[in-house]
Amino acid sequence: MSGAARTVSVNRVDGRLKVTGAARYAADQPVERLAHGYLLLSTIARGTVRAMDVTAAESSPGVLAVYTPFRSLALLGSGTPFSVGHSWLPLQDAEVRYHGQAIGLVVAETFEQARDAAALVRADYEVRPAAVSFTDGIPTATDPGPFMGEPARLEFLADGVGSIDEALAASEVTVAGTYQQPGKHHSAMEPHACVAAWQDGALTLYTGTQSASLTVGTMAAALGVEAAKIRVVSPHVGGGFGNKIATWAHPLLAAAAARTLGRPVKVVLTREQTFTITGNRSAVRQTVRLGARRDGTLVAVKHQVWASQSASGGIFESSAHTTSRYLYRTENLHLDQKIVTLDVSPPTWMRAPGQESGSFALETALDELAAELRLDPVELRLRNDATVYPGRNVPWSSKHLAECYRVGAQRFGWARRNPAPGAVLRGEWLVGMGMATANYPGERFPASVNVRFRPDGDVSVSSATADLGTGMWTVLAVLGAEALGLPVARIRSDLGDSTLAANLGAFGSGATASTGPAVAVAAEAAITALITLAVTDERSPLHEVPAADVRYDRGELVTSDRRIGFPELLRTVSSPGVEATGTAGPGPEHGQHAFTSFGAHFCEVRVNRWTGEPRLSRMTTVVDGGAIINAKTARSQIVGGVIFGIGQALLEGATVEPQTGRIANGNFADYLLPVNADIPPIDVHFLDHPDLLFNPLGARGIGELGTVGVAAAIGNAVYNATGRRIRDLPITLDKLLD
Amino acid sequence: MRPFDYTAAQSVSQALAGGGAGTAYLAGGTTLVDLMKLEVMTPRQVVDINRLPLRGVSADRDGLHVGALERMSDVAGHPLVTGGYPVLAQALLRSASPQLRNMASIGGNLLQRVRCGYFRDTSTGCNKRRPGSGCPAVDGENRGHAILGTSDSCVATHPSDLAVALVALDARVRLVGRGGTRDVRLADFYLLPGDTPEREHDLRPGELVTRVTVPALAWATRSAYLKIRDRQSYEFALASAAVALDLRGGVVRDVRVAVGGVGTRPWRLPAVEEALRGRAARPEVFEAAAALAVEAARPLTHNGFKTTLLRRTIVRALTNLVG
Repeated sequence: MSGAARTVSVNRVDGRLKVTGAARYAADQPVERLAHGYLLLSTIARGTVRAMDVTAAESSPGVLAVYTPFRSLALLGSGTPFSVGHSWLPLQDAEVRYHGQAIGLVVAETFEQARDAAALVRADYEVRPAAVSFTDGIPTATDPGPFMGEPARLEFLADGVGSIDEALAASEVTVAGTYQQPGKHHSAMEPHACVAAWQDGALTLYTGTQSASLTVGTMAAALGVEAAKIRVVSPHVGGGFGNKIATWAHPLLAAAAARTLGRPVKVVLTREQTFTITGNRSAVRQTVRLGARRDGTLVAVKHQVWASQSASGGIFESSAHTTSRYLYRTENLHLDQKIVTLDVSPPTWMRAPGQESGSFALETALDELAAELRLDPVELRLRNDATVYPGRNVPWSSKHLAECYRVGAQRFGWARRNPAPGAVLRGEWLVGMGMATANYPGERFPASVNVRFRPDGDVSVSSATADLGTGMWTVLAVLGAEALGLPVARIRSDLGDSTLAANLGAFGSGATASTGPAVAVAAEAAITALITLAVTDERSPLHEVPAADVRYDRGELVTSDRRIGFPELLRTVSSPGVEATGTAGPGPEHGQHAFTSFGAHFCEVRVNRWTGEPRLSRMTTVVDGGAIINAKTARSQIVGGVIFGIGQALLEGATVEPQTGRIANGNFADYLLPVNADIPPIDVHFLDHPDLLFNPLGARGIGELGTVGVAAAIGNAVYNATGRRIRDLPITLDKLLD
Repeated sequence: MRPFDYTAAQSVSQALAGGGAGTAYLAGGTTLVDLMKLEVMTPRQVVDINRLPLRGVSADRDGLHVGALERMSDVAGHPLVTGGYPVLAQALLRSASPQLRNMASIGGNLLQRVRCGYFRDTSTGCNKRRPGSGCPAVDGENRGHAILGTSDSCVATHPSDLAVALVALDARVRLVGRGGTRDVRLADFYLLPGDTPEREHDLRPGELVTRVTVPALAWATRSAYLKIRDRQSYEFALASAAVALDLRGGVVRDVRVAVGGVGTRPWRLPAVEEALRGRAARPEVFEAAAALAVEAARPLTHNGFKTTLLRRTIVRALTNLVG
């Protein structure tokens, strides 16, 4: 393939399966003799389980086994990195590290029997003091050490400048703010679930995962089984958002229990259990100080971050290194990341990890600076647009952020914004407009794809990647069709199985950017194999024609005087199919550029003048993500990302009780996610600037970009509507009442 | 979920015969089944009453009658309700989700249990669930909890929107038991928590709610239910107001005000009504009257904002109703 991918707009190839309920998610897999497991969770934040009374549970109807730290299931090492989401394996000791940790597994004939028996287990604890309050823990914050290839405290100063504070003090105008947001939970529609089935010493694990291959490695290490004996199947994943990369307690215990019991075991987490058994996003406090000249030129940016981390490990929110690090041009830059280690469940990757929180602080601070300077927020950003990656002096492969601002402002009607805060009243609603920038790095990793010509006339395009609702089933079909000159309907995509062509999976918004280029390579190789078969098999009508004289054209092999379709060829030579695997990945030249997707959000917010509730009335998001493969699923990705940001801005936040470490709102009645009624019309526009320095498709990722900056855009609009600057998320009505 | 015996009653007398301590009546199941899964409720017997003839929406000289087994969505869309009592229709439509409203019954709605997180988590204490085990909400997470009618034993908010509207309209419930039939004003039916928060209402063991009667009130055509919450749908109220206005020549001739999301039971506000009667329907009058609503308020750590929010909710509801 030459040139960028052509944008198409097609329906999801798995759409019918999903709307008819025929798509089989992890918990839907029909397996014979299935037993059901139910996890037991700790009800203290820190201490030791002294004893567990399982007598009543064991004699409860249908119960097959009750596993505890005292009647454990053997698990070995976890394998690192990218393995288990916490630094220990479940049930291997009696330690309690946080409220809601797995301390047992009840297995019974039915789910209800297991759940009822679980309620009969009594745990006796030796309780130790726990540190669970993020705010109280700030003074204990520590340096996490280098991450993302750079030190946690990173500074660039102009010649002759002694410190960032000196640069700020010398600035003509400065603004400073402290921004906070609570911990958050991914809340994928499909709860975490798995079915573990052993046969002849080999394990088949059905589980919703973003990476079948990483899960194989983790399970192999934990179970002491060679990787070749483990197959992970995950054809459909009902949302991942980063929380289905690491392996959590349930598949480890399900597989170990299934091995011990000699029966397949299913474990489906309840919604409440997903809050502590699986990962979350750190709580974050940030301080941003900006120094600028009167004309709006930034001269100093100081961005300090405190993020919660678990004593059990995990991934903290790296807010400054993912945003202020490169988003604007400034002579003096100071980033400082600290972590607050607590006895809470471990944070993990969560959609736009770092950017989500960092953009809220930075993009709000920019709005505060614009207000201070009486400068339009769009103009302020245009004046500080960075053209080279600060400190590395490499240009971006393709950056059209300025166009995002201009096109977005035009589509949205930004010129109609009244810059005076609190000045627009429509009926009983104060109305305001706000905007913010979005950024997310272009990530790409090596990936393989298998292309197989089938005698039935279809072509399978397969890879061990994942579709989290992101559209990968469709992307494989679209790219396969494009590479082979066939209609999409003749491509059978396959994914979500660790036995398919090697692929790390779906994360870092890199699935399409990584897997897509390999489709063309594999198609090329499969065509070569098809031609080789055609000219070497004695039964072939093209037997002994020089391979160089045969060319492939839209499913047919063509010579100067003959033309034969591949189905006919394969049937004629009695071939079950011809296949080839192709691999593509970033080359060494990748270091010569910075790769980033950008975007701009514009929104209108209404705040009730009496009761203070903030409501969105419309949004426009313009995306510079390189080439777009399938406009339909791409738009869904951006809309989903924006809605994720709306939750961050207005609704979401875990409430950890300082007395107990319990998440007081760990359920869907109390942990509020946006519902349809909260979502306004969202206008998504893609710029069309293929990034051919990034990959042959010209496509960067868009899965996470949509979330970045939304909270700031909304907060900035709330300020414009009311004159109130809310620096603590979520922006709820109680913060807007007089 | 604990194992239980299930029977389906074919008649009211059969249901009553099966009722009593340890038995739960099953109507829509939208509260009961949830709480059984959580083992917050562990009835030994479940009597399904869905086949009982407790249906129908009708009106006569006494007012509007609604069978206890009518589904919320059917009542919300009934012409007698939408035409005569907009406050009822709106309270129903702002409750729960369409799926739940299609299942949940009117009687079940009035008897639904509180949404306090401690009530629903059996790993914590709760005086309502386990008398004497304490109330962690008093010092715990209580943003959504009540500011009116609380006690040291319980601060849970009554969750029903419908009940707020019905209390505003002076509705009665008909209770049928083995000992006979009685009609009780809904406002009297609900009990304050006091020292016995496990007693939520005046329903005796084995009694059934069979119907709700709303007295005829011609000017209820000018009525509304305003529900304030963080998200726009599918959430319980932070504050709500059911208001009806009898407005003549810009003067409040009569008025009904009841509020939700703030009280341990649906909260009628007679002092606010009195302060409005005979006065001009103007913002400053509304604001002065609404201030009386929170005189007895006892805010907790996280719900102090509800005093302001409640006043504003009442003012906004009245203002919108004047138009």
